[in-house]
Parts: sequence; structure tokens; C-alpha cells
Amino acid sequence: MTSAVVEVRTTVRSTGFKRYRETLWLLTARDLRVRYSTSALGYFWSILDPLVMAGIYWFVFTQVFKRDVGEEPYIVFLLSALLPWMWFNGAVSDSTRAFLREAKLVRSTNIPRTIWVGRLVLSKGIEYLFSLPVLAVFAILGGASLTGWIVLFPLALLIQTILTVGIGLIVAPLVVFFRDIERAVKLMLRFLFYASPIVYSASDLPQSLHAWSALNPLTGLFALYRSMFFERELDWFLVGGSIVVSVALLLVGLLVFSRSERALLKEI
Amino acid sequence: MTTPVANGAAPRTPHAPVIEVASAGIRFRRNRGGRRSFKDLLSGSSRRARPDDFWPLRDVSFTVAPGEAIGVVGRNGQGKSTLLKLVAQVVLPDEGSVVVRGGVAPLIEITGAFVDDLTVRDNVFLTAGLHGMPRKEIAERFDEIIAFAEIGGFVDTPYKHLSSGMKARLAFSVISRLEEPILLVDEVLAVGDRGFREKCYARIDELLAGGRTLFFVSHSEKDLRRFCTRGLYLNKGSLVLDGPIEAVLEQYASDTKV
Repeated sequence: MTSAVVEVRTTVRSTGFKRYRETLWLLTARDLRVRYSTSALGYFWSILDPLVMAGIYWFVFTQVFKRDVGEEPYIVFLLSALLPWMWFNGAVSDSTRAFLREAKLVRSTNIPRTIWVGRLVLSKGIEYLFSLPVLAVFAILGGASLTGWIVLFPLALLIQTILTVGIGLIVAPLVVFFRDIERAVKLMLRFLFYASPIVYSASDLPQSLHAWSALNPLTGLFALYRSMFFERELDWFLVGGSIVVSVALLLVGLLVFSRSERALLKEI
Repeated sequence: MTTPVANGAAPRTPHAPVIEVASAGIRFRRNRGGRRSFKDLLSGSSRRARPDDFWPLRDVSFTVAPGEAIGVVGRNGQGKSTLLKLVAQVVLPDEGSVVVRGGVAPLIEITGAFVDDLTVRDNVFLTAGLHGMPRKEIAERFDEIIAFAEIGGFVDTPYKHLSSGMKARLAFSVISRLEEPILLVDEVLAVGDRGFREKCYARIDELLAGGRTLFFVSHSEKDLRRFCTRGLYLNKGSLVLDGPIEAVLEQYASDTKV
């Protein structure tokens, strides 16, 4: 016989958005903790990595080649786009393994599955914020001063989050079914590095390419980041293109993700 | 913080089902080598049936009232674990629906959420947190969890250095302290020595006495009789019998007689 009195001691569980946020934060904190607890230099890798990269490009483009692109001081110009690029690059290439690496965990918890992508974007984003002191130091040393456009910095972060989550939501589930996509994404990223205004400025492109370059969401995004030091870099046409393409990619990402989720859970 | 919910104030009455499975089915492709196309993948779940489809579970319907203890029996490969995964909502049905009201503490692949490189302490907070337990509550129960798992001296040891017995004990301890209204158990009790198994059983008894709903998959008739009042018998992916556990075990025994 089942007893008539059912006494269930339940505890207050956060639901909906709050639960989503808490779980996202928990996994992001785990990512960072694993990364920093398993390496002796910990936080310094977040600085060292962009520093070495910037050093290489600075050497090549100011000491070896005669450069007539970009702005002065070049190292500030370079870093202001290179750091967000490393966020984008890191999050997108990690998203190819978002489900494969955590298969055991995905199989055993029923948290909203988009978190597996969101947490990569968030943890790389936090690393980006951690690396900003590098930019600040070079700006002070190089004598670059901030412009009023620094108020657009949050907008730039928002666009980049939308863009990166969108691409992650497309890439992460598809890689599980088509492993080739992992290689293709790596190749695309290498191409995008030079196709986007990182070592050069969007205004250095030939006029005929100007309209086309708005289709690359990174072009307007980096223009926005750079406007905080270099007013001339701000080009609203490119920024508008970046917003439109980013939002479109997010919508496509959500669609692809929701369509493939069922099959994805069976595959891993 | 623990807030006891008075029965009358709870939104659900004692007899509203906590689990409702309605003609649920799940499909796999028989031939893994078969080429999969983008169109296939993205065309939604309503696409036409294919000849190489295989249904590990199809047209299964039942409801579970709160506080019921249900045992799932069937031979290997008849869909028991798949059913448990559907209820745990770690896979989604291709047909029909699975509605689960209330949180689930899944003792399936229990060690899955643990990270090798982090300490036992970090892992407890992480796993319990992933299952939705607030940080403060974990802190309150932390000592209890460690004591139950009998790994008092290893709180700051990296998880990977624990023995496999310790890992299983820790996992059971964390999941069984989640205080969720529904408990899913998938033969995990085979791990651990006899002493610990007895402790696990006692803990499950305790949870059942507290009004938890139990969903239990096992091959052991003894265990099934001990915990369950109702049985589900799965054969070739469909639900053959849903009735009192004695009747289900009887039919299962007569079907498997050689």
C-alpha cells in the first residue's frame, strides 16, 4: 500500500533564467580554475600569450617590413584588435570540442545544452578582460590617449558575445556529426585572421572592398574596439554590418542547435 | 536554505503524477556507417521513417505518482537504461512526450560530472551545483557528504588520486544528498563493498520514507522486492507489463525460463 501522507522535503531551487546563469557561471569558474590550477604560471599565461603574439607582429610589421598601414603607436593599434581576436579565436576553436570533451558530463546532467557553448565564450571573454592590463600598459608607454568613444566598449563586448555564441552554436553540434568541420574551422580561423583588420586598418582596404568588408562581422567589431584610442577608425557603416551579421548568425545558431540537439544527445 | 513545503501548500496534490510518459519512442540508426547529411540532421523529428531505423524503445506510456517506488525489469538491451535516460532528460524522445515535474537526482553514470584535476572539495561543489543545489546549502551539507563517503582525510586531494571505490562512494554520497523529489538508480549499487552497499540501501530506504519517488533499474530480484511496489517490464523496446512488482517479476521469470 502506498501511504496516504506524502511528506516530501523539497528545497528551494532556483529556476529558469537564474538557474541558467548560476550553472553557466559554475562551469565557467570550473574552466578557469582547472586552467589556472594545473599550470604553474596560471594567470600569467593570459598575459604572456597575447604579449608574445603582439611582440612577433610588432617585430615583423615595424622592424622588418616598411609599414604604411595602421596608426601610431602601432603596438596599441595592434593589441586593441589582437586581444579581442584571441577571445574570438579561442572560443570558436574550443567550441569544436564543446561536446566531445565533456561527453560524460553532458550525458549525466540535464542542464540547458546551450550552456556548453556559452561557458566557452564566457571563460574566454573573462580571459580577454584579464589581458586588458597589457593594452593599458602599452597605451601609457606609447602615449596613446583614450577618446570619448570608450563608452562604446560595452557595445563591442555585446556584439562579440552575440557573434561568438552564434558561431559556437552552429559549430559545436555539427562537429559531433561531421568531424571534418573541426579541421575546416581551424582553417577558416587562420584565413579570417588576415581577412580581418587586425594587423591593418579597415580603412587601408581598397575602396572597392569597403562594402564587402562589412559582411565580415569582425571588421566593424574591431573598428569599434579601436575607436577608443583612434577616433578615425570608427565607421558606422561597418559597425552596422557587424551588428546585422552577428544577430543573423545567432538566430541561425539557435535554429541549428535546436534542430540537432535531439540527435546530438544520442550521438555522444 | 531548506524550506519544508507544507503538503497543502504545494502546487501539486499527492496524486498528480510526477512522471508522465506518453507513447514515447526513441530512434537510432542501425547502421552507423550510413552517411548522414545536413538535410537529414536539420529536417526536424517528423521526417519519414527509414528502413535502417531501430527503435530501442517505442510506444511506452505510464505515469508515476509521487512517492511511488518503481522497478524496471527486462533482459539486457531491452531499453531499460534508455528509459531511465529519458526520465532523467539526458536524451529527448523522437516520438511522444516525457514530462517530469520536479528535480531528478540521477544515479546514472554518477562519476561523469567529476573533474580529475580538481580536489574533492571543488568537485563536490561543482557536481552538486550542476544539479542545482545552492552553494550555501552545499556548504551546510559538505561534512555530511564527506562523512557518508568515508573519505574524511582526502578533502583536498585531487579527485584522480582517489581509488575507484572512493570515487563511487563520493558520487553516490553527493547525488543522494541532492534532496530532489525523484531518484533514479541504474545498477550503480553493484559498486563498492558490501558494507557500503548496505549503507546505500539504508540511504535509499530513508529517502523513500521521506516520500521520494524512486525509479530503479536492476537485475537483482532481491533488491527489486526490497524497494519497489510497482514494476515495469520491458521487452524488445515496448512496455509489456505494468503492475505490482511480484506479478512483474513472476512474468519476467517465466519468460526467461529456458
